[in-house]
Amino acid sequence: MGAITALGIVLLVLMIIVGGKQGITSFLSLVVNFGILFFTIVLIAFHLPPIIVTIVASVILLSITIFWSSASDNASTTAFQASVIVLILIVVIIIPIEYWAQVGGFGLEDSEELEGLSTYVGIDFTKIAIATAILSSLGAVAEAAIAIASGLDEIITQHQAIKSEQLFLDGTVIGKQIIGTAVNTLFFGFFGSSLALFIWFYGLNYSFGDILNDKVFAAELIAIVVSLIGVVTTIPVTTWLMSFKLKRLHKAQLKH
Amino acid sequence: MCNMNSKLTSKMTWLQIVLVVAFCFLAAFFCQHNDGLYQQTIYRVDRVQNGKAIKMTDEFQNVDHYHNQQLFGTITNGKYAGQKLSIKNAYSDSHAMDHQYTKGQKLFITLHTQPKLHATVKDIKRDAPIAFLFAIAISLLFVILKLRGVTVISSILINTILFWIAVKLDHNNNGAAVIWIFSVLAVIFCFVTLLLVMGWSKKMLVTLSAVLCATAATILITLIVFGLTNERGIYYESMQYVTQLPKPLFIAEVLIGVLGAVMDEATDIVASLATLKQERPELSRMAIFKSGRQIGKSIMGPLINVLFFIFMAETLAMTLLYLKNGNTWHYSFSMNMSLGMTSSLISGIGIVLTVILSSAFAGLWIKGDER
Repeated sequence: MGAITALGIVLLVLMIIVGGKQGITSFLSLVVNFGILFFTIVLIAFHLPPIIVTIVASVILLSITIFWSSASDNASTTAFQASVIVLILIVVIIIPIEYWAQVGGFGLEDSEELEGLSTYVGIDFTKIAIATAILSSLGAVAEAAIAIASGLDEIITQHQAIKSEQLFLDGTVIGKQIIGTAVNTLFFGFFGSSLALFIWFYGLNYSFGDILNDKVFAAELIAIVVSLIGVVTTIPVTTWLMSFKLKRLHKAQLKH
Repeated sequence: MCNMNSKLTSKMTWLQIVLVVAFCFLAAFFCQHNDGLYQQTIYRVDRVQNGKAIKMTDEFQNVDHYHNQQLFGTITNGKYAGQKLSIKNAYSDSHAMDHQYTKGQKLFITLHTQPKLHATVKDIKRDAPIAFLFAIAISLLFVILKLRGVTVISSILINTILFWIAVKLDHNNNGAAVIWIFSVLAVIFCFVTLLLVMGWSKKMLVTLSAVLCATAATILITLIVFGLTNERGIYYESMQYVTQLPKPLFIAEVLIGVLGAVMDEATDIVASLATLKQERPELSRMAIFKSGRQIGKSIMGPLINVLFFIFMAETLAMTLLYLKNGNTWHYSFSMNMSLGMTSSLISGIGIVLTVILSSAFAGLWIKGDER
C-alpha cells in the first residue's frame, strides 16, 4: 500500500469516528474536489480557454464544498450565492494584477526542475497564474461564507422577528470573530508551503528587494493576499445577502 | 432620525472609499518611483519595436510563436542614470520563462561595459502591483474590521518576523535540526497568535494545549504511516526549491502549514463550549465533549478544503507542463501533485484530531459557575 492511500484511510477512519455520516460526506467532498481539480488541468492541457475553464470549475468546486457541508439549507444557499459573488470580485481584481506583475510561468529558481522539459507549449502561463490564484482562494472563501451564513441563520431561527438592520450588525460581529483566525489559516498555509523557498532565499543572500520582486515569491504572495481580500469581502457580502433575504421574507409576510 | 443616520453612514462610506482608493494608488505610485532605493540598475522602457513572429513546434507537437522585440529606454538610477540604451528581448506566446515588455514598464538589467555599454534584461520590477494589492487588503481589513484590523495585521507581522528568524537559525545549522527548530517555532507561533486572538485566560491555555497535542499527534501518526508503508508513492525528489535534506523539510512544511487551520478550529470549539458551559453549568463533561464534536463535525470539512486548495493550486503550472511534455496522467500527478496531496491529507488528520482533543480538554478543564 502506498503512503498516500494509507494516510487517506487514516483520515477517513478519523472522520467517521468524529462525524459519522457527515464525516464520510466531508471525505468524499475532498476526493471529488481533487477529481475536478485534476480534470480542470487536463481540460486546460487540451487548449480550452484557461480562465473560463477555471471559473466554471470554481463554481462547481464551491457548490460541492458548501452544499456537502452540514450547514442548513438556507445557510448553504446564501453561502453559495455569496461566495460566487466574491469569486467574481476576485476574478476582477486578479486579472489586471497578474498582467501588471507578470508572475506567470516559472522563475530562475525552477531551472533545475525544468531541465529536459519543453517550455514552449503554446499555453499562456500568465492565464495559468490567474487560474492558480483563483483556485487557491476557493477553500478560504467557502469556509468564511459557510461560517457567517450558519451563524446568521442560527440567529434568524432563534428570533424570527429580528430586523434586517440588526442582522447586518450581528453579521459584522460574527465576521470580526471569524476573520482573525481565518487570516491565520491562510498565512500559516502560505508560510508552510513556501518554507523551502524562504530557506533558499536566505541561503543565497537575497535582499528584501530581490525577494519582493522575485517571480516565484510574488506569485505565491499575490495568491495569498487575493485570498485574504476574498475572505474579508465575504463578510459584508454574506451579511448583506442574508439581511436582504430577511427583508424580502418580512415583506412577503406583511402581504399575507 | 433613522434617515439622517443612514445618510451619515453613507457619507462615511464614500469618504472611506475615496481614502482607500487614494491610499492604494499612492502606494503603487511610490513603488513606481522608488528606483533610487535599489542597488540594481533599473531601466524604464520608453518605446518598443516588435519584430515578426516565428512559428515553432516542439517534439510533442506543441505549437508556439517566438517574437523578437527591440526596447528603447532610459536607465533611471545608479551611476548611469539618464543614459539612453537599447536592449534586445525575445518572448514566446506561453511566457513560461520570458516576458513581453511594453512601454512604461520598469526592468532590472545587468549592465556590461565591455566593449561598450550594453545590457541584458534580468527581470521585471514587481513591487508596485504587490504594494497596490497589499494596500487594498490592508484598507479592507481596517474598513471592515475597524480596530480589530490592527490585531490581525500585528499578528501577521510578528509571525513573519519569527518565521524569518527560524529560517535564519535553520540555515546557520545547515538544516540539521530543521524539525526541532520549526517545532519550537510552532509552539511560539501558537502562543503569540492565541494570546492576540483570545487574551491571557484559561480558555487560551486550553486551546493552546489542544493545538499543541493535536499537532504533535499528527506528526507522530504521519511518521508511523511513513514507516509502515516505507514511504511508497512519496517522491521527495519532486519537492521544489530544496537546498537541504528533503524529508525533514517536508515534515516541517506540513507542521507549519496546518498550524493556522488547527488554531482556527480549536479557538472556535473552545470558545463555543465555554459559552455553553457558562449558560448551562449543569452539563456533564461527556455532554460538553459531545457538543464539541457536533461543532467540530460541521467545520472540519470546509477547513480541510481551505488547505487542500492552497496546497494543490500551486502545483497547477508544473503539472500542466508535464502533461504537455507527453507524460502520462499518472506520472504527472506523482511528480507534481502527490506531495501536495500528502500534505492535504496530513493536515486533514490534524484538523480531525483537533476536534477530538479540544472538545475533550474543554470538557475536562473548563468549569462553569457550578458548585
